[in-house]
Amino acid sequence: MATKQKRYEALVKALHTDLYRYAYWLTHDKQVSEDLVQETFLRAWRALDSLKDEKAAKSWLITILRRENARRFERKRLDMSEYEEASVMDTQSTSSEQEIENHWLREKIAQLPPEYSEPLVLQIIGGFSGEDIATMLNLNKNTVMTRLFRARNQLKEALEEQPATRGQYNG
Amino acid sequence: MDDLHFRRKIYADPNTQDKAVLDAQQRDPAKKEFTQELVQLDEKIKKAMKVPVPENLCDKLILRQTLACHQQKKRQSRLQLALVASVAIIAGVVINFFQFSSSYTNLGDYALAHVYHEENAFSNQDATRLNLTTLNQKMFAFNGSFNHLLGELIFADYCRFDGMKSLHLVYKGVTDTVAVFIVPKNEQLTFSKTFSDKKLQGESIRFKNTNIIVVADKNEPISKWKKSISENISWST
Repeated sequence: MATKQKRYEALVKALHTDLYRYAYWLTHDKQVSEDLVQETFLRAWRALDSLKDEKAAKSWLITILRRENARRFERKRLDMSEYEEASVMDTQSTSSEQEIENHWLREKIAQLPPEYSEPLVLQIIGGFSGEDIATMLNLNKNTVMTRLFRARNQLKEALEEQPATRGQYNG
Repeated sequence: MDDLHFRRKIYADPNTQDKAVLDAQQRDPAKKEFTQELVQLDEKIKKAMKVPVPENLCDKLILRQTLACHQQKKRQSRLQLALVASVAIIAGVVINFFQFSSSYTNLGDYALAHVYHEENAFSNQDATRLNLTTLNQKMFAFNGSFNHLLGELIFADYCRFDGMKSLHLVYKGVTDTVAVFIVPKNEQLTFSKTFSDKKLQGESIRFKNTNIIVVADKNEPISKWKKSISENISWST
């Protein structure tokens, strides 16, 4: 029992940050993300004995979280809500130039279609390879690579148009 | 590797370790620069994606699990207690059933079994002799008394006759001991007037509240015993 508890705590400490951020980019909602992470870890605890390889822990947890997220929609019978500007995390209060850029980029990431943003989050935050992402999302690797290409392409184009927008902030 | 192909690869993964891509970077400074650009973009995206995580989320996760685990343990121990209690009750009922329910259906069968069970406890050679007073003291419990001792009485004591308190008398007989049971009337065992097996024979006498059963081996004149019991016994109620 004690070892299971320790294993669980280690898992929480090591992975809750990545998991929360992944949930955030999936849902664009702080509260929902927190609930999802809690539910995910609770399920992870129950099934902890089935996790044999600690290296696979992150993808295992992400799989649980994705399933929980899907269940959330089944339960509430909500359609995947469109991105709303107000829901994006507001960090403007500490508005250094870096923060402003982050905020601006966050909006752009949030505006990406979910099928583009999800592999991108998994690659950048999760550190997963194209193959890993393909397995997790149940997609073909070429599809994943194309989506990653499009996601970056869109963000890059947006950034290149940025100065005009940014001028307003810098005033 | 053509430019378009290269760009696609870099856009898909700026940190790719694909050998063809790395070679192309080495050969063409423009490609290297382009890669650098995308790596920098990735850094920016990474920073943007690192949204602040609620400070106490980690503690919350651990606390919630600990509480859930505690609850579960409590539930489990309550369940275990209930289970143990049920098993104990069932065991009690079963033991009761076997101990106090009759496994014999008539007086004769039970009397034979009882005698066989105590076969080696008494013999004609036993030196003990009991007097009439002792016998009648015991008979008091059945509201009866004997006028005479009927023979040489080796043993007289209460015993369980199929769960009923009864009096067990042992007399010296012709070849072996004679057993006499004084048993309260009971609905569970049907009265059997005469009964026997290969070795033993027995007869029962029906009184108002009591049955008397005589069991002895085949050399014994049972009817004589039966007759003298009937003639010598008197009931106070």
